Amino acid sequence: MSEADHSSADDPTLVRAAQTGDMLAFEELVARHRDKIYARAFSMMRNEDEAVDLSQEAWVKGWQRLHQFQGESSFGTWMTRIVINLCLDQLRKHKRQRTESIEEMTEESGGVERQMPVVTINPTARLERAELRARIDRALGQLSHEHRTVLVLHEFEDLEYKEIAKVMECSIGTVMSRLFYARRKMAALLADVKNENWK
Amino acid sequence: MMDYQHQLKIQAYLDGELSGPEAKEVSDWLTGQPDAAALMTELRQTGEALTGFEEGLKLPESREFFWSKVSRGIQIQENRARADAQAAPVGWLIRFRRFLMPAAGVAVISLLALVVTRETGGGPSNPAVETSLADGGGVVYHDFSAGATFVWLSYPPDSDSSEEDDAGSLDQ
Repeated sequence: MSEADHSSADDPTLVRAAQTGDMLAFEELVARHRDKIYARAFSMMRNEDEAVDLSQEAWVKGWQRLHQFQGESSFGTWMTRIVINLCLDQLRKHKRQRTESIEEMTEESGGVERQMPVVTINPTARLERAELRARIDRALGQLSHEHRTVLVLHEFEDLEYKEIAKVMECSIGTVMSRLFYARRKMAALLADVKNENWK
Repeated sequence: MMDYQHQLKIQAYLDGELSGPEAKEVSDWLTGQPDAAALMTELRQTGEALTGFEEGLKLPESREFFWSKVSRGIQIQENRARADAQAAPVGWLIRFRRFLMPAAGVAVISLLALVVTRETGGGPSNPAVETSLADGGGVVYHDFSAGATFVWLSYPPDSDSSEEDDAGSLDQ
């Protein structure tokens, strides 16, 4: 397969070629999906260097496990699952290295998200997309990694509660609780709600 | 104010996680609950605000540079796999060393027992021979009249345990 063929070929064709050892086909797949894989790593890790390293590691693993890819999902989805697993492993390592955050203690002891006043977010009316993205970025950064991960897996990866519970090794009840907290806090942060309860 | 379980139910309803009858129940309940409806709107809008967020994130490295790092990573992993494959027989030997060492000890003691038996020659004037193999932790007893040979093995050797006992007594 020539270079021109690679750029015009669809993903399944490139995957089949890569499975026979065609590195140029794999390079084309990397070029097509690298932003998506990086974006998922960045959403979860909130650190550019770590996200680049983990997405690179995901591609290396993707090449090594390419023979296992049967095409049940799209190649992009399959690669995204690999990077998510790597991020979860990395976050578990971080957790072992640090003490519990104030965020987690708040969740355990108070449940302040239950008493928060309901806010209205109307992003398209009030904010430019770029500004909204910057605010979402900052707001995601203020969540603990457990809350952020649940939110990312649900909102970006469209996983069901039971699937999230499985990958995060926790109960469905914990998933529901974390997702609720994460959403309510995001709503408050995006609506510029200043409430002493959140501090 | 809604209790927490109702709040979580609203969220599960929004996410399509409830069964048909449960969803109907929550839907009916929401009709007469403005607070609950407002909460559901907030949760839905939060999800909508996040839509498309990741599309704006781009890998901060050029295609060529990033690929060079990925291909180098692949090369390193493949070299490592080859090295592991070559080292596999040595690894097998190391893993089985703990089983091979006692077996070798038994073989040495058996050989010594055989040598001792032959040297003593056997006969009516020397009906029994007892030989202590202190270093090996074994004792051989041969009874010519009965035509029997006994080999006692202790593992670890008695000499080792007695040394430990001695050391222990020094502490007292």
